Amino acid sequence: MEIGRFLTTEDNMRFLKRHLGDLSAYVFILPSFVILGLFLVYPVIWSIIASFKDIPPIALRRSGLFSIPGEVVGFKHYADALQNSLFIKAVFNTLYFSVIYIPITMFGSVFLAMLVNKALPGTNFFRSVFFIPYIISVVSASLIFMFLFNGDRGLVNALLSNFGIAGPNWLASTLWAMPVIAIMSCWRNMGYYMLIYLSGLQNISKDLYEVADVEGANGFQKFRYITWPLLGRISLVVMILLMINSLNVFQEVYIMTGGGPSDSTVTLPFLIFNRAFKYYEFGPAAAISYLLFIVVVIVTVIQKSIVNKRLG
Amino acid sequence: MNASKVAQTIVLWTIGILFLLPLYWLFVSSLKSDSEITRFPPTYWPETFVWSNFPEIWEQLNFHVSFSNSFIVSVPTVFLTVLFSSMAGYAFSKKRFLGREALFTFLIATMTVPPTVLLLPLYFIITKMGMFDSLIGLIIPFSVTVFAIFFTKQYIDDIPTDMLEAAKVDGSGDFRTFFTIIIPLIRPALTALIIIDFVQNWNSFTMPLVLLQSEDKFTIPLKLALMSQDTVATPWSKILAANLLSLMPVLILFLAMQKHFVAGLMAGSVKG
Repeated sequence: MEIGRFLTTEDNMRFLKRHLGDLSAYVFILPSFVILGLFLVYPVIWSIIASFKDIPPIALRRSGLFSIPGEVVGFKHYADALQNSLFIKAVFNTLYFSVIYIPITMFGSVFLAMLVNKALPGTNFFRSVFFIPYIISVVSASLIFMFLFNGDRGLVNALLSNFGIAGPNWLASTLWAMPVIAIMSCWRNMGYYMLIYLSGLQNISKDLYEVADVEGANGFQKFRYITWPLLGRISLVVMILLMINSLNVFQEVYIMTGGGPSDSTVTLPFLIFNRAFKYYEFGPAAAISYLLFIVVVIVTVIQKSIVNKRLG
Repeated sequence: MNASKVAQTIVLWTIGILFLLPLYWLFVSSLKSDSEITRFPPTYWPETFVWSNFPEIWEQLNFHVSFSNSFIVSVPTVFLTVLFSSMAGYAFSKKRFLGREALFTFLIATMTVPPTVLLLPLYFIITKMGMFDSLIGLIIPFSVTVFAIFFTKQYIDDIPTDMLEAAKVDGSGDFRTFFTIIIPLIRPALTALIIIDFVQNWNSFTMPLVLLQSEDKFTIPLKLALMSQDTVATPWSKILAANLLSLMPVLILFLAMQKHFVAGLMAGSVKG
C-alpha cells in the first residue's frame, strides 16, 4: 500500500484485516488477556522490581496499584540471601526432601503402572485407590499423616511396637520430620504419575514383548531393554515435574511442623512466606522467590535440551 | 492362574492395602470416642461408633459457613475458568490475530513460574484492588488458568476448520459458532476440566491463607488448618471427623465422574 494515498474506508478495513487478523479474535482473548496480565504477568514483574528494592511496609500500604516504592539497592537482597544460614539450610532441607521423594515416587509410579496394566483380580479397584490420594487436599492429607505418625498414639508407632521397636516422635525429630513429609507427598502424588506412565505403557507395541518371549528374555530383561527405554521421554517429563514439586513444598510444612524442629523442615517456599508475611521483609522475600524461579527455569531448560538431544 | 500371576496379585493387593491404610485410619479414628482416641496402643476398630462426632464438630466449627464459602468460591471460579479459557483456546486454535504465536509461546513459558513467586505480589495487587478479605478476591484473579487455555486449545485443534467455515457461510456469527458448535463438540474435555478445576479450587489453601482475615469468610481448608493449630480444645477424633466431612464433595465428585477425570488428566499431562 502506498504511503500518502487517500484511503477509503474499505481499504482501511482490508489493511486492518490483513495485519491484525480476525477482529473478533481480540474479543475472545480479552478476558484471559486482562486477567492473566494483571494476576500473572504483572506479579512476575512486580517481584523482580521488588527484589532490587528496600520497601518500607508503610509506604507500600499507601502506594497505588502500579507503583512500588522504596530505594533501589541492586543485588543486595540476592547477595544477602545466598549468605544467609537459614537460606542455605532451606536449600539443604529441600535436597533432603527430594532425595527421598523423587526416587520413591518415580520408581513407585512405574512399578504401579506396570502392575495395574496387567489383568489381575482387583486391578480396576486398586487403580482408583492409588489415585484417590491425589484429589485429597494437602491440608487433609497433612492432618491424616500427623495423626498416623503421632509419637504417643500414632498407628505407625503402634505397629512398630509389635516388632519391639520403640518408634521416635516423628514430627518432633530433626532427622525424621522431613522424611514423614516426603512420604506423605509420595502417597499423595504417586497415583497421578502412575496414570502418566500408564498411558505411556499402553503406547508400547505388544509385538516387542512377543519377540522378546521368542528370544527367551526374562521379565527383568524385558523391563530393562524394552519398557524402561521406551518410557524415556515420559520419565524425563516426570522427573522435571517431581523436581518442581520438590521446590514447591509449603502447605505440608506450614501445617505439620511449622518449619521445626529447629528449622529442620524449613523449605524455600516456607522461608519466602515467613520473610514476607511474618517479618514484612518484602524485598528479601522477592529476591529469594526469584532465586527459586531461576532454579526452576534452569531445571526446565536442561531437561528440555536433554529431551531434544536424546529423543529428537 | 500361574505362580507369577499369583505373586503379582499378592503384591498389588499388599500395596493397595498400604495405600488405603491412611484413609482407613481416618475413617475409624473419626468414629472413636474422645477417650478411646487417646489410648495407646490404639484400637483397630472403634469399640463404640460415635456418630455424634460429625454433627458435634459441624456445630462447633460452624462448618456450614465454611462449606458455603468454599462453594461460593469454587463454583463461579470454575464456571469463569471454563468460559474464559475455552474462549481463548478457540482464538488460539482457529483465529488469526497479531502476535498469536508469540503470545502462545509466552503463555506456555509462564507455566514454569512457581506459585510462591506470585504469592507476595498477588497479595498486594488484590489488596490494592480492594478485594482483601473478600471471597471475590479468590474468584476473579483465578478465573483463567494457562493450563485450561492449553487444554481446551488441544481439543479445539481437532475440530475440522471446514466445519466452522460452513457455519460461517450459513451466516452464523462468531459467538453463535462458539456456543453452538465448539462448546458441544468439546464437552468431554470441558467435563474433565470442570472436575480438575473444582478439585483444585476446593483444596486451595495458600491464597485463602494470605487473603482472608475474618473467620466468617474462611474456606474449608483454611478452617481445618487453623482448627488443628490450636489443638488444645479439639480431640483428634473430632479433627479427623471434620477432615472426613471436608473430603466428601471432591470424593463424591471423583467417584461419580472418575472416567472423565482420569481421561482428562492423562490427555492434558501427556501432551503437555
